[in-house]
Amino acid sequence: MGTQTESPDTNDQTYFLVRRIHSLLGLVPVGVFLCVHLLTNASILASPDGAEFQKAVERIHALGPLLVPVEIIGIFLPLLFHVLLGVKIWLSSSPNVQHYRHGGNVRYTLQRITGMMAMVFILYHVWQMHWFGENLGGGAFKLHDEVTGAPMGAQSTAAAINSAVWVAPIYAVGVIATVFHLANGIWTSLITWGVTIRPKTQRASGYACAVFGVLLALVGLGALRGFKTFDAEAPAAHDARQAGEVTAVHAP
Amino acid sequence: MAKQQVVVIGGGLAGLAATMQLAESGVHVTLISMVPVKRSHSVCAQGGINSVNTLTRQQGDTEWKHLDDTVYGGDFLQHQPPVKEMCEWAPRIINLLDRIGVPFNRTPEGLRDQRRFGGTLYKRTAFAGATTGQQMLYALDEQVRRWEAEGMVEKLEYWEFLGPVLDGNGHCRGVVAQDMFSMEMRALRADAVVLATGGCGLVFGRSTNSLICTGGAAGRVYRAGAKYANGEFIQVHPTAIPGTDKLRLMSESARGEGGRVWVPRKPQDNRDPMSIPAAERYYFLEERYPAYGNLVPRDIATREIFDVCVTQDLSVEPGRMCVYLDVTELPGATQKKLDGILEIYEKFQGVDPRHTPMKIFPAVHYSMGGLWVDYERDGNSGGLNLGSPRNQHSNVPGLFVIGEADYQYHGGNRLGANSLLSCVFSGLIVAPTLENWLKSLPRGSAEDQSATLFDGAIDSHKQRMDQLINNQGDENPYKLHTELGDCMTRQVTVVRNNKDLRLAVETIEKIEQRYQHVHLSDRSNWTNQNFSFTRALGDMIVLARVIAKGALLRDECRGVHFKPEFAIPAPQADDPETLRAEARRWCEAFREKNEEWLKSTISRHTADGPDISYEPVDTGLINPRPRTYGLKGAEMIDEVWREMDKGNAAGAAVAESESKT
Amino acid sequence: MSKSFQVKVMRQEKPSSNKHWETFDITYENGMNMTTVLQRIAAAPVTTDHQTTTPVAFDACCLEEVCGACTMVINGRVRQACSALVDKLLDESAGVIELRPMTKFPVVRDLTVNRRAMFDTLKKVKAWVHVDGYHDVGPGPRVSPKQQDTAYPLSRCMTCGCCVEACPQFSDKTSFIGPAAISQAMLFNAHPTGSNDRDDRLAVLTSVGGIADCGNSQNCVKVCPKEIPLTDSIAQAGRDTTFYKLRQWFGR
Repeated sequence: MGTQTESPDTNDQTYFLVRRIHSLLGLVPVGVFLCVHLLTNASILASPDGAEFQKAVERIHALGPLLVPVEIIGIFLPLLFHVLLGVKIWLSSSPNVQHYRHGGNVRYTLQRITGMMAMVFILYHVWQMHWFGENLGGGAFKLHDEVTGAPMGAQSTAAAINSAVWVAPIYAVGVIATVFHLANGIWTSLITWGVTIRPKTQRASGYACAVFGVLLALVGLGALRGFKTFDAEAPAAHDARQAGEVTAVHAP
Repeated sequence: MAKQQVVVIGGGLAGLAATMQLAESGVHVTLISMVPVKRSHSVCAQGGINSVNTLTRQQGDTEWKHLDDTVYGGDFLQHQPPVKEMCEWAPRIINLLDRIGVPFNRTPEGLRDQRRFGGTLYKRTAFAGATTGQQMLYALDEQVRRWEAEGMVEKLEYWEFLGPVLDGNGHCRGVVAQDMFSMEMRALRADAVVLATGGCGLVFGRSTNSLICTGGAAGRVYRAGAKYANGEFIQVHPTAIPGTDKLRLMSESARGEGGRVWVPRKPQDNRDPMSIPAAERYYFLEERYPAYGNLVPRDIATREIFDVCVTQDLSVEPGRMCVYLDVTELPGATQKKLDGILEIYEKFQGVDPRHTPMKIFPAVHYSMGGLWVDYERDGNSGGLNLGSPRNQHSNVPGLFVIGEADYQYHGGNRLGANSLLSCVFSGLIVAPTLENWLKSLPRGSAEDQSATLFDGAIDSHKQRMDQLINNQGDENPYKLHTELGDCMTRQVTVVRNNKDLRLAVETIEKIEQRYQHVHLSDRSNWTNQNFSFTRALGDMIVLARVIAKGALLRDECRGVHFKPEFAIPAPQADDPETLRAEARRWCEAFREKNEEWLKSTISRHTADGPDISYEPVDTGLINPRPRTYGLKGAEMIDEVWREMDKGNAAGAAVAESESKT
Repeated sequence: MSKSFQVKVMRQEKPSSNKHWETFDITYENGMNMTTVLQRIAAAPVTTDHQTTTPVAFDACCLEEVCGACTMVINGRVRQACSALVDKLLDESAGVIELRPMTKFPVVRDLTVNRRAMFDTLKKVKAWVHVDGYHDVGPGPRVSPKQQDTAYPLSRCMTCGCCVEACPQFSDKTSFIGPAAISQAMLFNAHPTGSNDRDDRLAVLTSVGGIADCGNSQNCVKVCPKEIPLTDSIAQAGRDTTFYKLRQWFGR
């Protein structure tokens, strides 16, 4: 604490850099990835048969052999860094919201709680969906049927979401926590980097971040609902796509 | 040669100014303070600091006029050379404060803004918001912190000064101090000791002073043989908010903006003040002084409020003396101008003064008197011979006194915004004095003194501590303090008369005897505040005797010392010739009074109480003249006095310069 | 019959002693504040169960909220005892007022703590204007009323410790220097002469325990008795450190 006798070494600027990198990585690429990921997922709502979703994911998978290094370097490593330092930050905090109840302190506390929730949720999510989890009993997401090669991105996702009654609620909570963490993280990073200074500007950016957060949460929850209600047995989904008559499918 | 040591006691404006100036001169300083220096009482000064400035200079103001206002305001009781030097330094001092970052209020062009204060015609007062003292203290604290970081200053905070260490010749060789946490005592060798421990408001119980302003340090050196001067000159501020723990200042501007002072005509009328009809309200200032109304000068306002409560028993509350200061009738825009001070009232009283009249009462505010110090007059300038080891030097060799703790600058009454100036000034000029003192130490340095001197000093303080802690008796120190404060406030503040003063002297003597039976509720040896307070109470009682006896013996009215029995009756005649004759008699009485009483009261400690004598005052620069503000026939008195004074002026100057050199 | 209320005080005789509670009955007085209450206890230190005890040790000095001495935790919230009015406190918690020492500093005895660390951090951030000397060189730099309006509120910091007490990031788990010191660094960086040491201060703010440890709970500004815009200072420090680092990397 401030009462410690050892004085900070002014030459040791590493900690500052590490913290700023932590802040930056939370925004780019992790925050950006979260937006892209949730928007991609929401494309499930664009076509009930999951074709738009399939297309969107295939565009990503077009990277081919580059996909894995891109994922690891662009997402997993930055995320890992953000998470590990985040745990350290969480451990070094002494929340006191029971005595000092006001918006800023509540958000401070929630930022730490949602960070931990997001970490647990993402671990679960990656295990469940990503092929990393295949050998551990997860890895449920399949873009194509291994045998027929038929598209089944939406189908496999929906199956995973519906595999148990508690999966969807976990996702709902996880998505909300993660989105809160990002939206509030944007608000604090604007202060950290010195963009918003006066209380008035900080309040304005607070509203903007809140709107952003609500919208992104809606996108995420919408996607979840899309998968939750996705009907894998919908007739001729595949055929319809080939016919280019997507809209006709739902005609009564 | 052994390393020379200077110990400064007290980290208010004066102590810090001395410390930073000494550090800059390459003198290592040990700074002792009962509180972290940033919490010193100087933070409470609100108004500002006076100096002649570019603006006032163009209106005809000079350092000489600042000197004149100061000594006239002080009723000519201060030696004039130090005051002259102070007024000449004032512009430089403000510049220095400006450079080290005091956030003075600014004009649109970026220059320092100034306001007008009481007792002058010029806008001499630079100010930083409503907390000038705080801002100045912080700037000096920051400078001292820099020297601390550079190793030139060692601070001992939460250390209490217990007494000087005097050698067989009565020469000060160091101090004994005590860690207020661990209660460890330590003797510090010092070739010079500078006392900058402020005033003694706590002698009066509750005052506008901070809890640390006990006068304990001054009392301790006084008991060790230092002379105390003009102790009876205690300034009382007319309007303070009477709190249960202290009396907080309510700025004069409340009356300036139209606030009215009143009490219910029926004693202790317990109705809601807003429901008391105008006819049943006694606007005593307006009735008694129709010309000035609520804006009578400070001392008159103080006396009248005191009179209404004490003599006429018309206090608003039965158990606590106070009158109403009413701003509820002021228009919203005017109230808004007073927001700053009204908020203070609201914060501490929990009552909105915009809708309920404020309860206020005069409060002890400042001690013009203090430890006696010497000075050396410069024959050419009439100011000080800077660097002379005599400056700020008490009668104890090696012991110097600065700030409110000395008696030198304010005479019989202090002008607003002059106290911050005198603190910084005396702090700065004591540095060259000490440098020269250290160069020519009579009888060697403190380092050469035997250890037994210091060990003995510690032992005697330990014995006193053991004795006090284990004292058997039934007197509660806090209750004794309350009694002392009540007695001093009732009988030795605003209106003084010899009957009451004699009673006060007796009461204090009784309290002193009862103090021998004081019982401590805490006998531990760790952070014992009970003990520290009780020890200081002993010193407060000693100072109370000095103040009360000084007041009893001084049979005149001068500055704040108002003794109606000895007031010169004002001329009453309306006919010009008779008025002239009366004015002449008034002036002759005034001259006789000055011949008898224009002297510093000097008090020396003896086992039987204070031994009081008098010393002439150096009025060689400006001849004393009557203060006739508000007096009938004032103009005539002034005119007659000028005629009478012409013949005297030359002779007086010669006489004074002879008496001093 | 006079009204009375209870005051519950957390006592601790020495740094090594255990903490324990003592309760006192206090006779109500009009306009009473907490420093008065503690003075009344000192004059008659008898607990509710008629045990004679020692006066409660506490720090207090000016009693008008300009010296910063009497900071303590009253009813769970840090504040100055002198401006804490009994009437208002009894509204918060009827009948009993609870006093504890600050938790972020070593307790010396009872409610007295040692805040030396706060003054030490002022040394670290060079909270002073370094002038050539105290000889006469004329007036200081011109300062616009606007600059003065910005500087004056920051300059009113009493080093009372409220901000660090309420700060969830200031504890023995971090070496955070706290909001007060950051604000002082900004005060002197904004001073025309003080800014000569600007980079030294920014170096401290970018080292361990510096600005990076702020978690933006904004408790500091909520509890500051002098209403100092501490979060403005913190955000300004964020901006200044950002540019400071960029200047360092790009060689100015």
